[in-house]
Amino acid sequence: MLANLIIGGAIFGYAGWAFYRFIKKSKEGKCAACSIQSSCSSNCSVNQDENLK
Amino acid sequence: MLGKLKAGEKGRIMNISGADKFVRRRLLDLGIAEGSEVCVKCILPFGGPVMIESCGQCIGIRRKEALRIEVERA
Amino acid sequence: MMNIALIGNPNTGKTSLFNNLTGSYEYVGNWSGVTVEKKVGVFKNGEDQLIDLPGVYTLNPLSKDEGVVTNFFLNEPFEKLLNILDASQLRRNLHLTLQLMEYGAPVIIGLNMLDVAKNRGIQIDIGKLSEALGVTVAPVVARSGKGCDELAELVTGDFVGMGKTNLVYYGKAIEDGILRLANMLDGRVKLPIRWLALQLFEGNSYVKDYLVKYVAIEEIESLILSVADSHFQLSGDKQTLEQVIYRKRSETIDKIVAASASRKDNKKVPLTEKVDMIVTNKFLGIPIFLLMMYFMFMLTFDWLGFPLSDALDAFLSGPVTAGITAALAAAGSSQFINDLILDGIIAGVGGVLVFVPQIFILFFFISLLEDSGYMARVALVMDRLMEAVGLNGKAFIPMMIGFGCNVPGIMAARTIETPKERLMTILLTPLMSCSARLPVYALFVGAFFIQHKALVVLSLYVLGVVVALILAKVFSKTLLKGETSLFVIELPPYRMPQARALWRSTWDKGKGFVKKAGTFIFAGSVLIWLLAYAGPEGANISMDDSYLAALGGIFAPLFAPIGFGTWQASASLFTGFLAKESIISTMNIIYYVPDEASLQGLMAVHYTPLAAYSFMVFILLYIPCLATTATIYKETGSKRWTAFSIGYALLIAYLLSLAIYQGGKLFGLS
Repeated sequence: MLANLIIGGAIFGYAGWAFYRFIKKSKEGKCAACSIQSSCSSNCSVNQDENLK
Repeated sequence: MLGKLKAGEKGRIMNISGADKFVRRRLLDLGIAEGSEVCVKCILPFGGPVMIESCGQCIGIRRKEALRIEVERA
Repeated sequence: MMNIALIGNPNTGKTSLFNNLTGSYEYVGNWSGVTVEKKVGVFKNGEDQLIDLPGVYTLNPLSKDEGVVTNFFLNEPFEKLLNILDASQLRRNLHLTLQLMEYGAPVIIGLNMLDVAKNRGIQIDIGKLSEALGVTVAPVVARSGKGCDELAELVTGDFVGMGKTNLVYYGKAIEDGILRLANMLDGRVKLPIRWLALQLFEGNSYVKDYLVKYVAIEEIESLILSVADSHFQLSGDKQTLEQVIYRKRSETIDKIVAASASRKDNKKVPLTEKVDMIVTNKFLGIPIFLLMMYFMFMLTFDWLGFPLSDALDAFLSGPVTAGITAALAAAGSSQFINDLILDGIIAGVGGVLVFVPQIFILFFFISLLEDSGYMARVALVMDRLMEAVGLNGKAFIPMMIGFGCNVPGIMAARTIETPKERLMTILLTPLMSCSARLPVYALFVGAFFIQHKALVVLSLYVLGVVVALILAKVFSKTLLKGETSLFVIELPPYRMPQARALWRSTWDKGKGFVKKAGTFIFAGSVLIWLLAYAGPEGANISMDDSYLAALGGIFAPLFAPIGFGTWQASASLFTGFLAKESIISTMNIIYYVPDEASLQGLMAVHYTPLAAYSFMVFILLYIPCLATTATIYKETGSKRWTAFSIGYALLIAYLLSLAIYQGGKLFGLS
């Protein structure tokens, strides 16, 4: 019974966390696709959009 | 006119002012201006772009822009 | 800690150098516009930061990625500049260098591609170049990393020469104009006045917008006019200020180059030109491109990819599943946990992982195209066709990148100069079949079109491109009229792709797919399994009574006319919005099978070949995934265009699937 709780807890815990992170990162869009996102410290914001409105 | 040169022919640009403002700027950025020597490398079919070489770099521009650039055949 | 900006012309090896200096694995390609925004990395010394900027020819921008650089100079603090030069194109590269020196920040020059220059008969005396400019010049080979450690030490070291800020004398009119601007600003601006003034006179709109914050716009405009006028009075020539500034810089550069470089005539025809004679040939250009694409698809789907996927499938459904089953039994797990892991997670995650070999093969070819320099040729060859639909050849590059993943494809649209063409490219890139859609095709062609696997998949990719081109024509005739189109493209010399760089680039693109399988697909599988396991009447029920069936059932009638009106199909389409590959994991869970082969067998019961093709077409077009949608929003800055990109895709997908399914039925297909 204990094993069931541990395995089940681990799976649902991880799934919830992964789901939350994925949605959060997808919403950022481009940074999710950037290959240095872990070491990059630029803040992923587009500051100049006046060319396209 | 640059657009009139055949593939393999060379020329010197005499007047570039007829070309579109942006194209002119871009060519200038690439170091191509009046006085530059250019060589037509190939011409794509159906009125497609031309590939020109100048100072060892290759650049593609549209035929209609090339037709607005005056060259002197060399 | 110092901020050091890396700047140079497009395609001079900035990103390679960035990788070597920071030890990161940024994406490298052999076409203009690989980097479209600034990216920051930390030097190997662990202290100073290196900022990788998009490649520019000048600080006066034409396109949006170039605007990123100008904005950086106007708004962000940095201590030093690392300017990378292409030794084989010294003249053109020095135009940018002179502008950087006018800015007045300490500059160090990395001289790259000396080997290319040497092959073309150009010898550069580094000492003399350094002396003429008044800054340190260090030779590097950015691709291999040779000389990078020395360069890193120089850059992060304490002493750096400032260079000569007024190497160029622009004539009395302009020099007076600079002083007048200095008076107008009266010390209110921190940025170097000489640089601001020269950029302003050159017509840099970003600099003008910046100055308007300090001085009235009328004053600025009258200053520009009076400088132009007084230049005409003094010299009598009719050139615009932009031309005058360019000419003066060119004269100075001629002197610098004359003093530091010598050239021998080298009559050898470079290999690049020989290759170009074939691949951009009048008659062969487009056929060669199509042939290469066909070859790529045959390898990915037929010759190599399929057997590899099958082997992986056998491994996952055999030993791996058996091992996990045994482990679960040993741990004494309940039926619920067993079902969750075996029918949910293994079915869902394994179903996606099976396609890793095919995806890596596809990414390998995309990397090869990028790294070799062929990409720019494709743009050239395609320009005529693209012009006919109101785009330009450059728009084809984002689309090709989009075959890998739509998100970087949309980012790559920044290199397109005209806003209209850029917007169209952003809107149409999601129609390119990205690698996440590939598992869906692989599954269905394996079940229904076993004889013509590659051909059927190729037809889908081509369909995506054709629909994009037709829509481009429609959009440019209706929504986005006007504006002249512009096309000038630099065609970099070919280079032999290096095995290491190729692998790295393939891995960089592909690892996201593997990672997503371990995170999102895992989580999604758990959720889907739960929804399929439980229903309004309780848990562990028949799947047809589950929440998932109820949810899918609402929309199923809508899809009946296009051939797949089952709750299973509509439920998997829902998950596809979050990530396209989850369509496959959802199906694996719903159809409740242990491996890919038996899923394909089951598919034959639920779909006809015609319905399967209709389904694939629908998947190809129906909606950009969440990450793509977010990127479209960031890049267009408009909720309306973002909503439009989703709306038109749904409409087109539905109409096309309807035409295919109903049309096919009329012709007696099934």
